[in-house]
Amino acid sequence: MSFARSLLDRLPSCIAVVSETGAIRYRNAAFEQVFGSDAEQWLKEAARAVAGERGWLQGFFLEDDEQLTIDVEIEGRIYRIDRIMIVDGDDGPGVGLSFEDVTTQREAEQAKSDFTAQIVHDLRGPLSGIQGTLEFVLSQEGTKIDSLYSDLLQEAQRESERMMSLINEILDFSKIQSGSFSVEKEPVRIAGVLKRAVRSLQSVAGRDEVFLLSAHGRDIPQIIGSVEKLTQAVINLISNSLKFTPKKGLISVGAQIVRNGDVPEAIVVTVTDTGMGIKAEELEKIFEKYKQSGTKSLRGGGGTGLGLYIVKQIVEAHGGEVSVASVEGVGTSMVLRLPVKRAA
Amino acid sequence: MSASLMAREKPDWSRLVGDSLKQHGVWHTHDKLLEARQVYPNDLALRGYTEIVRNTIVRQFLEHPKGMQAVPKLSADFLTNFDRFNLNAQEGYLVSLIDGRLDVQKLIILSPFDQFNTIFILAKLQHERAITVPS
Repeated sequence: MSFARSLLDRLPSCIAVVSETGAIRYRNAAFEQVFGSDAEQWLKEAARAVAGERGWLQGFFLEDDEQLTIDVEIEGRIYRIDRIMIVDGDDGPGVGLSFEDVTTQREAEQAKSDFTAQIVHDLRGPLSGIQGTLEFVLSQEGTKIDSLYSDLLQEAQRESERMMSLINEILDFSKIQSGSFSVEKEPVRIAGVLKRAVRSLQSVAGRDEVFLLSAHGRDIPQIIGSVEKLTQAVINLISNSLKFTPKKGLISVGAQIVRNGDVPEAIVVTVTDTGMGIKAEELEKIFEKYKQSGTKSLRGGGGTGLGLYIVKQIVEAHGGEVSVASVEGVGTSMVLRLPVKRAA
Repeated sequence: MSASLMAREKPDWSRLVGDSLKQHGVWHTHDKLLEARQVYPNDLALRGYTEIVRNTIVRQFLEHPKGMQAVPKLSADFLTNFDRFNLNAQEGYLVSLIDGRLDVQKLIILSPFDQFNTIFILAKLQHERAITVPS
């Protein structure tokens, strides 16, 4: 035991064993040096239930299957606290915790996130102006735009749309990374979400000579979540399909109800294309960040590799799950399962 | 191996569907996937594979030289032996709209079903030879 204590005292990490009430049963030298005698006071506060909710310390005692991690602000610094183990001693249960000061790391992440958000905002403004101008020029029927210029303007429009999509993906990714990605809790009509997403890309599909069809009825039940984020997820999926679906191909956007008896349990949204498909070995990794299918886009230009990762984050934030089906040379289907939650 | 254990193992749908499409065509594959969904009701990817095959069916229907302007007609076989065709309510409703003048585009507008399912039902009626779609 003395050997173990001696070993713990030589570790640079702050380690303590704490009771459910916040009483410190053991602290190593690093802990003593960093927190001193004040630690017992804020640990007791951490253990105390506030307004009927348990304090963060008690969470470590309740869920004993997985290692828990939490970021906690202690006297102006942010500490990442990891549960090492649960100790069942003679004087009741205790929990072994390690404390790491991550203030600088979090500040750097926040600064990076703020910087990205500012850059993205600064890029979006002028790009919106370019898009509006191109749309106006191309909509002037009757004016004699030489067909060469018309093709070039359409190409410029396509590329500006792609750039806007990349910028939006970077912004969303930055929000996810900084932990500021949250989902509103409002009633969402999935049929409306799909209709909005299809409408927003109908002209792009028409230009690429791809059929974009709705495949859902009107009787889809509401779910609780964010209209904006779910619309964005479906737009990401359709945009992705458009990159890999050849001319005269088809993209369908559908929704089906999964019932448990007569009660709607979930809604399954599918975005399916008749594109080139994804290799079987790539299917499992397709929702990971920076992963892109080895299949080359038909319409030029790569992406950030973040689109499907963002979709997965959005769906999981709604308590749902994502899946993918693909047959090489036949097509791909992205499947989202969203639970139907009822108001309490 | 017990049946319940077999049901838990996830088949390689991508390969199975690809092979079935090559060997047996879209309709056979579609029917087999619907059967598989009874066995694997919680397999999310399986729904995706069913949608891939349904998409292929609809795209093949739209490959008609006249595309959305093609005009479906009731087949002679259907007109003389309509009781031989076991149509469900949706198919029956759509058949009632087919007058030999309305093209696919107009049928979609008049149909109470969504665009995709309207074309899918037309493709199924064509497969079952209840309608023809002359070039």
